Amino acid sequence: MLEVDDLTVAYGGVVALNGVSLQVPEASITTVLGANGAGKTTLVRAISGLVAARGGSVRVDGTALTGMAPERIARLGVAHVPEGHGVISELSTEENLRLGCLWLGGANDRRAATEEAYELFPPLAARRRLPAANLSGGERQMLSIARALAARPRVLLLDEPSLGLAAVILAQIMQRLRELARSRNLAVLLIEQNARSALSVADEAVVLSLGSVVARDRAERLARDESLRHAYLGF
Amino acid sequence: MRTFLILTVDGVTSGFIYAMVALALVMIWRATRVINYAQGAMAMFTTYVALFAIQHRVTYWLAFVIALGAGFVFGAGVERLLVRPIEGRAPLNMVILTLGLLILLEAVAPMLFGGDVKSFPAPFSRIDITAGATQLYVSPFDIFVIAAALLVMLLLLVFFQRTTIGLRMRAAAFRPEIARLLGIRVGRMLTLGWGLAAVLGALAGVLIAPGIFLYPNNMDEALVFGFTGAILGGLDSPVGAVTGAIVVGLVLSYVGGYLGSDLETVGGLVMLIAVLMVRPQGLFAFHRQRQA
Repeated sequence: MLEVDDLTVAYGGVVALNGVSLQVPEASITTVLGANGAGKTTLVRAISGLVAARGGSVRVDGTALTGMAPERIARLGVAHVPEGHGVISELSTEENLRLGCLWLGGANDRRAATEEAYELFPPLAARRRLPAANLSGGERQMLSIARALAARPRVLLLDEPSLGLAAVILAQIMQRLRELARSRNLAVLLIEQNARSALSVADEAVVLSLGSVVARDRAERLARDESLRHAYLGF
Repeated sequence: MRTFLILTVDGVTSGFIYAMVALALVMIWRATRVINYAQGAMAMFTTYVALFAIQHRVTYWLAFVIALGAGFVFGAGVERLLVRPIEGRAPLNMVILTLGLLILLEAVAPMLFGGDVKSFPAPFSRIDITAGATQLYVSPFDIFVIAAALLVMLLLLVFFQRTTIGLRMRAAAFRPEIARLLGIRVGRMLTLGWGLAAVLGALAGVLIAPGIFLYPNNMDEALVFGFTGAILGGLDSPVGAVTGAIVVGLVLSYVGGYLGSDLETVGGLVMLIAVLMVRPQGLFAFHRQRQA
């Protein structure tokens, strides 16, 4: 369970996130929607410790993360797939995956985690030894999500996974994500600009505008709210 | 023919020493995006440490290990205490820092160790081997230098390509922020990288000293030629740096042998400028353009 309470972040004098609160229960997906500049990326970066919060708190299964360095937060089971996928293109597919499961107990666990990743995303298995730079956009996004999952996280933060992906591949990845959230008891926070696809997989949805939460509801209900869709989601 | 062989062996041997300086520069460049101008001066310092140990009846081999160990501590310390506080500021700050450290070390060394030229022992004979009546133009010490350099390069390759900590270091160097999100302590990887780079430098210092003697700025040329080799190969490529440095060693040896030793340094400069004009990204660099 991920709990964000009254989180406030400011860059210099500019408030990017203004008292945002949300909960993501286990085995569920919450999507955060909003236009460019609404504070979506700031929210995930604050959760994973890349930007410091000015106020409020973030908890994972009751443990407060506020003020911790990102590398510690990562080891506590928060996996963050950053915007633009964040695979390390100079390293091979396999090496990227190995970086995902650095903190698993033994060598056997780590091997199992990489093999699982290939089962989850079969296209990657044929690319093991290739530098990630040679992968297609879809494969890179798969690799990035697979690497995050290889850490066996409790919380998965996804920042704009739809960016630059073909609709078919996006639908596949989203479907996978839904199954995984259930089967692995994952709390998934899905940041999206592509509201339509995000609402189709999410359980809950939160709409951010200028750093504040302006709407929150069950995803399917929010998708039906026409005035909200027009005002904030653009479809 | 005879001259050519002698010059070639000389060139390759010094090329391997420049290669270690070049590798040290490349390692730090890849991790911290700074040219460590103090790399040579740090190596000079650790060589003095080795000489100090030898003068106090420590065996050559133990002193050799002490020099490398001192190099690691020195490099890691410089990263921790000097580089870390100015990280993320303007790149010029870092340049001034490493240049300042170079000047500082070369000023402090004569106070601590004396400014005179000292001889430094070689563990093997520096006289060319003869097989029967034919001279081979290569000395046991030359063989040792090349073997030590090759061994260290092999160890580094295995370390970076085959071990988890090597993988973590590469991740930290390529994409620090992503590395942090994967739980890697990037700062610690940088400290380790600076330490390892300084070990390479220390090795170069101990291997070059028997030939050029030891004095407070004895590594200046090795730094310039190592730098030239690294630029030649592309600052981002370890393989390129080694190849570039050996080419530099050979060219300088031929220039010095055929055109006169006064022209050696000029030869290095001409090569550097030529490469920067024709192929500034280096001979081995792939895709990316150099940023600084």
